Amino acid sequence: MKDISKSINKVDNEEKISGSAEYIADIKMDGMLYAMTLRSSIVKGEIIKISYPKIPDNYYVIDHKDVQGKNIVKIIYDDMPIFTTKKISYLHEPIALVIGPEKEKIVEILDSIEIKYKEEEPQFEWEDSVVDFHFDKGEGERVFDHADKVISYDYETGYQEQAYIETQGFIGYQDGDKTTLIGSIQCPYYVKNALIQALDSEPENVRVIQSTVGGAFGGKEEFPSLIGCQLAVAVKKIKKPIQLIYEREEDMLVTTKRHPAKIHFDAAIKENKIKGIKAHVGIDGGATIGLSGVVLSRAMLACSGAYTIDNLDITGDVYKTNTVPNGAFRGFGAPQMMFAIEMFVEHIAKDLNIDPLEFRKSILAKQNDHTSTNGVYRDPILMPEMIEKAMKESDYLRKKKAYANPNIFKGIGMSFFFHGCGFTGSGEKKIIKARVRLRKHKNNKAEILIAAVDMGQGVKTTFRKLVANILEIDIENVIFNNPDTDYVPDSGPTVASRTMMIVGGLVARAAKEMKQRWREDEFVVEKQYKQPDYIKYDEENFIGDAYPAYSWGVNVVEVEVSKTTYQVKLVKTWSVYDGGKAIDEKVVLGQADGGLAQGVGYGYLEVMNHKQGKIQQKNMTDYIIPTAKDMPDMETYLYDNPYAFGPYGAKGVGELTLVGGAPAVAKAIENAINKRIYKIPVTPEYIMELINNAKN
Amino acid sequence: MVDGLIAKSLNEALEALDNKEYQIVAGGTDMLIQNRSHSGMNIDYKKDVLYINLIDELDFIKVDEKNLYIGANTRLETILESKLVPQILRDVVIEMASPGIRHTATLAGNIGNASPAGDSLVVLYLLDCELEIKSLTKTRKVLLKDFITGVRKIALNKNELITKLIIPKINLTDCYFHKVGPRLSDAISKLSFACGYSVENSIIKDLRVAFGAVYVTVVRSREVEGKFIGQSVNDLKANLDDIINAYEPLIKPIDDQRSNRVYRKNVAINLLREFIENIKED
Ligand SMILES: Cc1cc2nc3c(=O)[nH]c(=O)nc-3n(C[C@H](O)[C@H](O)[C@H](O)COP(=O)(O)OP(=O)(O)OC[C@H]3O[C@@H](n4cnc5c(N)ncnc54)[C@H](O)[C@@H]3O)c2cc1C
Repeated sequence: MKDISKSINKVDNEEKISGSAEYIADIKMDGMLYAMTLRSSIVKGEIIKISYPKIPDNYYVIDHKDVQGKNIVKIIYDDMPIFTTKKISYLHEPIALVIGPEKEKIVEILDSIEIKYKEEEPQFEWEDSVVDFHFDKGEGERVFDHADKVISYDYETGYQEQAYIETQGFIGYQDGDKTTLIGSIQCPYYVKNALIQALDSEPENVRVIQSTVGGAFGGKEEFPSLIGCQLAVAVKKIKKPIQLIYEREEDMLVTTKRHPAKIHFDAAIKENKIKGIKAHVGIDGGATIGLSGVVLSRAMLACSGAYTIDNLDITGDVYKTNTVPNGAFRGFGAPQMMFAIEMFVEHIAKDLNIDPLEFRKSILAKQNDHTSTNGVYRDPILMPEMIEKAMKESDYLRKKKAYANPNIFKGIGMSFFFHGCGFTGSGEKKIIKARVRLRKHKNNKAEILIAAVDMGQGVKTTFRKLVANILEIDIENVIFNNPDTDYVPDSGPTVASRTMMIVGGLVARAAKEMKQRWREDEFVVEKQYKQPDYIKYDEENFIGDAYPAYSWGVNVVEVEVSKTTYQVKLVKTWSVYDGGKAIDEKVVLGQADGGLAQGVGYGYLEVMNHKQGKIQQKNMTDYIIPTAKDMPDMETYLYDNPYAFGPYGAKGVGELTLVGGAPAVAKAIENAINKRIYKIPVTPEYIMELINNAKN
Repeated sequence: MVDGLIAKSLNEALEALDNKEYQIVAGGTDMLIQNRSHSGMNIDYKKDVLYINLIDELDFIKVDEKNLYIGANTRLETILESKLVPQILRDVVIEMASPGIRHTATLAGNIGNASPAGDSLVVLYLLDCELEIKSLTKTRKVLLKDFITGVRKIALNKNELITKLIIPKINLTDCYFHKVGPRLSDAISKLSFACGYSVENSIIKDLRVAFGAVYVTVVRSREVEGKFIGQSVNDLKANLDDIINAYEPLIKPIDDQRSNRVYRKNVAINLLREFIENIKED
């Protein structure tokens, strides 16, 4: 049998390169109306009165009064209204949709709506904790009682914007009692379930179809449920097709972003070793909680990084502020923590006058070690050989030594990291309960029926390949259409690096059964997720196996820093990943290049901040992501370390490739300028400050 | 609704301008952005529009003994590829925008837009660029530095059009442009810097320094330059602090979403220092 990792042409290459792929904005329907959003112009307060102009025929205003079901977007934490009733808690909060056939007229109507507010003092400080978690491992805080000394540092990370090429958008239409939305989304069933609650409709009267998705990165996980509900409410009432697509600026100003974080660490040191770590993780949730609690828990669970620390005392808070709600973004809390812990361990070693590399290697997590929540790393961990490989290919030791010379302003940095694959905790078992279906057609074709979305990452290619391989048929005979909730079961959202490992695992099981019955004419195989028996997790107390499997990685980044302008130039990167078996090598390498660019960008380039609740970088001119010219040659090596329950041994790769970028580039810059780095992005402005003012 | 006129000849354009007020659009790479509206809607021009991008007679690059002449309609990409254009000007053009934009954008547009961050302006100031400006009845010349009067402010009458850039040929021992952008391509400058000098027998015969995006317009001071012209290279270097002190009060950058004033000022001074320190004897 041929090796499944061997790459084939990505199945969506042609339609995307030729331009024939149909995105939301390409879909036109007869009599289609346009929707635009009326938003608050204040940050916090109450609406006293809205004065609308006379609304012409065939134009509509849809607001909270039109919501037939519950005026709440069904997300994990139900605190986001579909339309505000009157309370305003962040700038540009949605109040209503204005809908009609001519955009010019809609703009005119929007411009002439007058709103009287009662303003209140907004909260931007991180004081109002709305979620707080705590867990201990081993002796917890008590380990500090017999420490020789305590080393403490604070680390900070900023916003990050997903910057998908295609902005948020849906088209909706009504057919009898049935409301249908076509959208640029990651999670068809999240949207469907949100619509059922918002419309108070029967499940069979709500249909959600995924269109071609032009990038998502987590930004189309929960946010689409908000605008999907708004649009569905309008569609059900007006009974005409309506299109709602965000402009770039609107998208950047109001959609969810990566949570800014502040992480405080104390380490109990005894005989030059870390005996225990105490950490507090604060993240800015913005105006609503949404997924923030889950993001916080992933950040906290990653608190010991790629290392094993026996004693932990970890606390965390989500703070509510009057800013745009933050949400899902590739990595989901882990990038913040991975930056902080990687810098902290390095800084501890430096303070103890121990070679940081030796120090870090000596505490690396090993098979059968206990995770931060006393779960077990059951599978082999290949980090020592992966590190060896990264160091050899990058000539790490020689460069590190040469660049210690403070006058040459070159640096090399290496990060070690892991990513927990799949949903945190018992999410898969208790909440998602993924189901997949495989249909054998009469013409000897097999059809994959799952809710997983190809947003460019290659799901359509890898899943068709997976099934074709198991059934030993040509990939052309495997059908995989964009998910449509009328046809596919709920295999869960396309998030959390779970798609190949969990959904692919189920599809593989279904395909194996189908293979046995291949002679039958026409039939359907259905499989449901079953958690491996040994996985036990106590959600409340953070005890046990938070993830069924872990992916591991090493990133090395080499940089040059300009003494004159403090600008950073990336020279080259080397990466080694263990994401289990690659179902298609090129697809994994695509994730590797894109993930690293996004991770490194997060570390040194991508600045986003708000001023009095207003996002300052509201377009792609001001929000700087790396271009092809900024990214250097990226070398990637994949290690094959199969996970028993993943198809062919696949684990998660989508997020893994992002989480190590920021600490690697930050360490490289630290090496180049001989100053300690405590926050990302490491901008030229920050480097200047460090060079001019900071002690070494 | 506004009207649009696509002029096919210079005369047609000048006649139109003589009749009523227009928003002039050349490549449109500033105008389309500044007047954008929602996708699928018309561009939100506030005035009637005169498109000049099809006037071929304004698309040229020529030289004589004294000057280089670049037509108002000459595309950045054409300038980039022309051997007649001094290297320093091509060096700035290659750092502007991206190939797609460069195939339609013009230098006259970069001037007309008069943004403090306009990249070509820094080099054009350094080279003492002059503009030829025409109305139906009059042709006049004006130094670029007198033409740009503030942020997005230019001394152009309603009936006038920039027709060409006139760039004197000068002989410098060395000159260069340095763009400090947030990334390596397709980005707006945080600040920029251009400089040049000529040395004869170890004496500074010419010294030019220009800073972009550190003040409302490009900062170039002939007064300061004059103070140091005539010095020996060694004296000049010994007077580095004086030079920095002379420029320091002229560099008054702002904080914005792209950078901050401390950084802009610091880096401007660093670039100046680097330039002076690297001046060669002969
Ligand atoms: C993606 C992108 C990247 C960019 N990157 C850069 C960059 O790196 N550096 C930079 O400096 N700029 C950049 N720009 C801005 C822009 O491309 C330049 O300013 C360009 O030179 C403008 O030329 P244009 O012909 O397109 O001007 P237009 O938009 O047509 O006009 C600009 C202004 O000049 C006036 N004007 C034009 N021609 C004449 C004339 N003959 N007589 C009188 N007035 C005239 C117009 O009335 C208008 O006010 C970028 C723009 C985009 C969209």
